[in-house]
Amino acid sequence: MNHSLNYLLRRLGFYFIAAWAALTLNFFIPRLMPGDPAAIIFARFRGKLKPEAMNALRETFGLTDEPLLGQYWSYLKSILQGDLGISIAYFPEPVTSIISSALLWTIFLAGFSLIISFSLGTLLGTIIAWNRSGKLDSFLPPALAFIGAFPYFWLAMVALYIFGFELSWFPLGHAYGNDVTPGFNIPFILSALYHAALPALTMILVSLGGWMLSMRNIMITTLGTDYIAFAHAKGLSSRLIMLRYAARNAILPNFTGFGMALGFVLSGALLTEIIFSYPGQGYLLLQAVRAQDFPLMQGLFMTITFAVLAANWIVDILILFFDPRTRK
Amino acid sequence: MNLKIISYLMPLSLLILFGCENKNKSNKRDGLTVYQEAQISWVRNFNPLSPAGSARWPTSSGIYEPLFIYNSMTGEYVPWLGLDYKWEKGNKVLKMLMRKGVKWSDGEPFSAEDVAFTFNIKRKHRALDTRDSWGYLKEVVAVSDTIVKFEFKRIYVPGFDALATQSIVAKHIWDKIDDPVKFSNPNPVGTGPFTEIIRFDSQLWELGKNPNYWQKGKPHINKLVFPTFPSNEQVTLALLSGNLDWAGAFIPAIDRVFVSKDTEHHKYWFPLTGHTTFLHTNTKDPILSDVRVRKAISYAIDRELVVKVGMYNYTEPAHVSGVSGPMSKWHSPYLDQAENWTTYDPGKANMLLDGAGFIKDETGLRYTTDGHILEFDIIIVSGWSDWIRSAQIVSQNLKNVGITAKVKTYDFGAWISRMQKGDFELAIGWAEKGTTPYALYRGMMSSEYLQPKGEIADVNWHRFGLASADSLFREYEQTSDKNEITEIIYELQHLFIEHAPSLPLFSEASWAECNTKYFSNFPSAENPYATLSPNYPPENLLVLVNVQNR
Repeated sequence: MNHSLNYLLRRLGFYFIAAWAALTLNFFIPRLMPGDPAAIIFARFRGKLKPEAMNALRETFGLTDEPLLGQYWSYLKSILQGDLGISIAYFPEPVTSIISSALLWTIFLAGFSLIISFSLGTLLGTIIAWNRSGKLDSFLPPALAFIGAFPYFWLAMVALYIFGFELSWFPLGHAYGNDVTPGFNIPFILSALYHAALPALTMILVSLGGWMLSMRNIMITTLGTDYIAFAHAKGLSSRLIMLRYAARNAILPNFTGFGMALGFVLSGALLTEIIFSYPGQGYLLLQAVRAQDFPLMQGLFMTITFAVLAANWIVDILILFFDPRTRK
Repeated sequence: MNLKIISYLMPLSLLILFGCENKNKSNKRDGLTVYQEAQISWVRNFNPLSPAGSARWPTSSGIYEPLFIYNSMTGEYVPWLGLDYKWEKGNKVLKMLMRKGVKWSDGEPFSAEDVAFTFNIKRKHRALDTRDSWGYLKEVVAVSDTIVKFEFKRIYVPGFDALATQSIVAKHIWDKIDDPVKFSNPNPVGTGPFTEIIRFDSQLWELGKNPNYWQKGKPHINKLVFPTFPSNEQVTLALLSGNLDWAGAFIPAIDRVFVSKDTEHHKYWFPLTGHTTFLHTNTKDPILSDVRVRKAISYAIDRELVVKVGMYNYTEPAHVSGVSGPMSKWHSPYLDQAENWTTYDPGKANMLLDGAGFIKDETGLRYTTDGHILEFDIIIVSGWSDWIRSAQIVSQNLKNVGITAKVKTYDFGAWISRMQKGDFELAIGWAEKGTTPYALYRGMMSSEYLQPKGEIADVNWHRFGLASADSLFREYEQTSDKNEITEIIYELQHLFIEHAPSLPLFSEASWAECNTKYFSNFPSAENPYATLSPNYPPENLLVLVNVQNR
């Protein structure tokens, strides 16, 4: 047990250093982009704003000529205090409030589709590996690999056009209907589910194959090992062998994959959110980059970084739990 | 396999049931659904003074109102909160007469005090003074309840536009605000036709009409509805499905895509704004500094083709003066004596280039005197497909006269940074806009904004200054006499045509679509009382008060 704690603490130390490195890159990389935010806002008016406006804009956003290193220290300091600054594109809204509302929608949409896709894919992988060369095994892997090979944005747009526009089965965008009031009430929840259905389906459809195939392949290797043969010889039921003996070991690499995917959920739903006008993080990131909104960009990258690190740490704990070898 | 199909169909069938429920639609629609800003979720900000332009449309001209509205279709100022104005003391003092009987939406009376307060709050917080009014103003006071006096520290008549179109805020509300720069004004009190926030959610907000509006019987409609649309594709889909009543979006091949779906109700109107999109020529480039080369490039361009291929024929080839459409009234009467270098004449272009010493070899390429290929880059913002196509046509045209021109695209931030630093040769871009061509010509020829290469120039990207024009600008700024103003504009126009500091490419149009199924009395080519586009505040106020339920 002491050993496990040690392992977790060591991992935590590693994550801490990783977080610091990410925060530092997070600060410097946006500043290497050409142009400055005031100039971009000015240019957005396409000649309708007079050049005299530039000074007013620079003053508003508090854009300083302070050396980068000084700015870097005050940036680290305010992050430690939980202050991510004020957005430029959505001036004068604080970055934290903008991110928090978008974050919820992304976690809802991408998180759910990831969990569904992961569970369904892993389960299907287990089943088709158990009944390998069955009908399901010869059909599903190539079919899903075929779908997964389409460019995602194309698949999503076709789905939106056919099911949303032509057939009107699904809404054309947004996270909930305009006739419901956000809050904890049944119509709102139903509407949110209905609006998430098509984007979630497209996301599940393209990612399902990956989970299924990796689970199937490891499962097949596991099924060939001696301890499975021994379990069969002992006369254990096939269900028990399939789930408790084989799948439990085969799922470990998939868990690591899940941890990584959980992090990418926060940024990776970008295309989905743009195509389905879904008000999440991904679209916000695009806006922030377009407007050179440094504070918002930093805030978003930070949430993504922290989410990846946190997810990986949780996976570390899970693996500790599932795999006794790490506990020795 | 069967299991999978069923597991998919189950939620599907449920969803279809839900979907049908939403389908009941009547012929009446209470709220006018508008698209003006591309957003994915709304942020509650109704600060009309915010310099970042981050307030929701129509805060500055809908919730709040200006003193006068410049109508770009007629070229006249429409009296609004202000009724009349007068220049005094050799244009050092401007007096404006305010309308009586105007009330704020909370019932308090509006007066000249509010106007003076609005300008003085900008004086105190310079970040709010985006039009640098206090660069020429000395003092703004309310002489009486209805008269505001603007005193100038230097005579600057063109400043009238910034003063007249300033949105006015209520003194009794704003004098309690400590930091108006960061104030998001969540519950606005304005004089405009729509002031009541009925609902504000991240995806949809609704703006109801002002119970105390000073124009009796107006606005005709009860409320405005703003769903979020993050992209042009979403706007197009919403327009097609009839979920959007008024939009200001660029839609390619609009007759086929939009109008043909419902020819009776699906309308658009893309009037010329009077302004021009330019092919900017960096005059600090050693080759482009030669006016013969600039004019040769201009002669070589087949603008008809650029407009057809690049702009879906939505606009027309540029006029050599750089102004067109509703601004054509400023065209000089002596234009027929001036050189018309925006006509398509490759022969003339070849002649000018030969004369400038750029000789063609047997393959048809031209070379500089020191043996280099005559080549330029045309820089465009990546993703701005209409301009990219236009640039490709220009590139083809230039090839025909022996000039190699490559189209290069940059991300917006990188593009604007290159333009401002003068780090380009040719580029498609906009130019300064104003109520007279003065703003354009000042941006084109004034040494005031001239910066050396590498320094940031907010305007005059092509880096051209002309002393004889500078003195004309000074004269223009001193006079409020209509005839004198016209004479100066003519002179500036002839200077522009003589020196060709940058090349007008095509006229600018404003994008606007409307659906007349539920609402009527939108501006149109037959009824041009204002431009239809919501993108030109404060002119959009004229539309807001005139649109009616069908």
